[in-house]
Amino acid sequence: MKVLLADPLPEDRPGFHPFDDRIRSDFAGFSRLALLARQAEIGPFEDIDVDFTGVEWLDANMCAPLGAILYRAGRRGNSVTLSNVQSESGKDVRGILLRNGFLSHYGQTRWPDKYGTTVEYRRFEPKDQRAFAEYAEAVLKGAHVPKMTTALRKWMMESVCEIFENAVMHSRTRFGIHACGQYYRSKPRLDFTVADVGIGIPGSLKEKTGEDVAAIEAIQWAVTGLHTTRHDNVPGGVGLKRLREFITLNKGRMQIASGRGFWELAGTGESASEMEPIPEPW
Amino acid sequence: MSDTIPVSVFEVVGSRLCVASDDGQRVFEQIASAFRQGRRVRLSFLNVETLTSAFLNAAIGQLYSPEFGEDYVRANLEITDMAPEDVDLLRRVVETAKFYFKDPRRFVEIVRDASGELSDD
Repeated sequence: MKVLLADPLPEDRPGFHPFDDRIRSDFAGFSRLALLARQAEIGPFEDIDVDFTGVEWLDANMCAPLGAILYRAGRRGNSVTLSNVQSESGKDVRGILLRNGFLSHYGQTRWPDKYGTTVEYRRFEPKDQRAFAEYAEAVLKGAHVPKMTTALRKWMMESVCEIFENAVMHSRTRFGIHACGQYYRSKPRLDFTVADVGIGIPGSLKEKTGEDVAAIEAIQWAVTGLHTTRHDNVPGGVGLKRLREFITLNKGRMQIASGRGFWELAGTGESASEMEPIPEPW
Repeated sequence: MSDTIPVSVFEVVGSRLCVASDDGQRVFEQIASAFRQGRRVRLSFLNVETLTSAFLNAAIGQLYSPEFGEDYVRANLEITDMAPEDVDLLRRVVETAKFYFKDPRRFVEIVRDASGELSDD
């Protein structure tokens, strides 16, 4: 099966809004990957060719959810290939994915990162908490990380580790926890994403309570604190709430995509949207 | 024999990175074992550089369960060598634990209330 990552729907479809040719770390980008996750729910023993024709940009941190989706498809026994990853001046998707090591997982040799702006794409097993912490530590010591105080760096490090530990404790993923990022020297900014393909926040909530809660409400519930979906006698709920406060204080951006819900905290405040079920084009 | 047992978090975990809930569980078991033998514990965070709430919830938060409780923990657990930035995190973990163990089923009710509101919409 060939999956076109750009423009997956015919333009003559009423009400159709084609996907941008740039997959960014935003609602549209996560919606596109949510659709890809559904498209890849086939197999086992199918050929899945993810065709990048028309994709002129991919925010490097989006390699984390993209890698998680494709890894699951592969582990289900499918053969996953990537094709037509572009490499032209000004839209060097291929160069980005070669430098951050993403394409190394698809049979290509990693390119050196002479600019030092990539954050390596990595997959961790849930028991790899310390390996992830060491990786995160190296990311936060990168030459292009915006200058910050020691206390701020420590807080940031702990926050990133909280996200990983949340995935370990709640996602029940059997397909690893994926991480990737990118430094932007000119902004200056670090984008970093952690992704799993587990049961999600709504699924975790349902396991604990037996209640169906809409994805957006489940995410909002998770970030408000004093709650936990842990199944043992251990309290919880501090991590995401503290992270949210940290992001607000430092004028950063935090995004959570889980189930059909997309939630974002940025300089303008909070917003939440439901990733609509998209008509299948095949 | 001393009434107070020194416990080094760095030693129990074997790393300066105390991020995993499972590692916190090992610290909890060390403390709980001492408590059950009527000993006090002096818990040192010397050489610990990174802490998460997930670790502290397991290591310290669950001490506030009915087996020991707030008064017992306050009287028998001494925390030392903790970075000032982490003291605030510990305070929040302890506050949350006290809230949680006051009524562990409370959050289920919160969710049920929330889902009821949603279905009423």
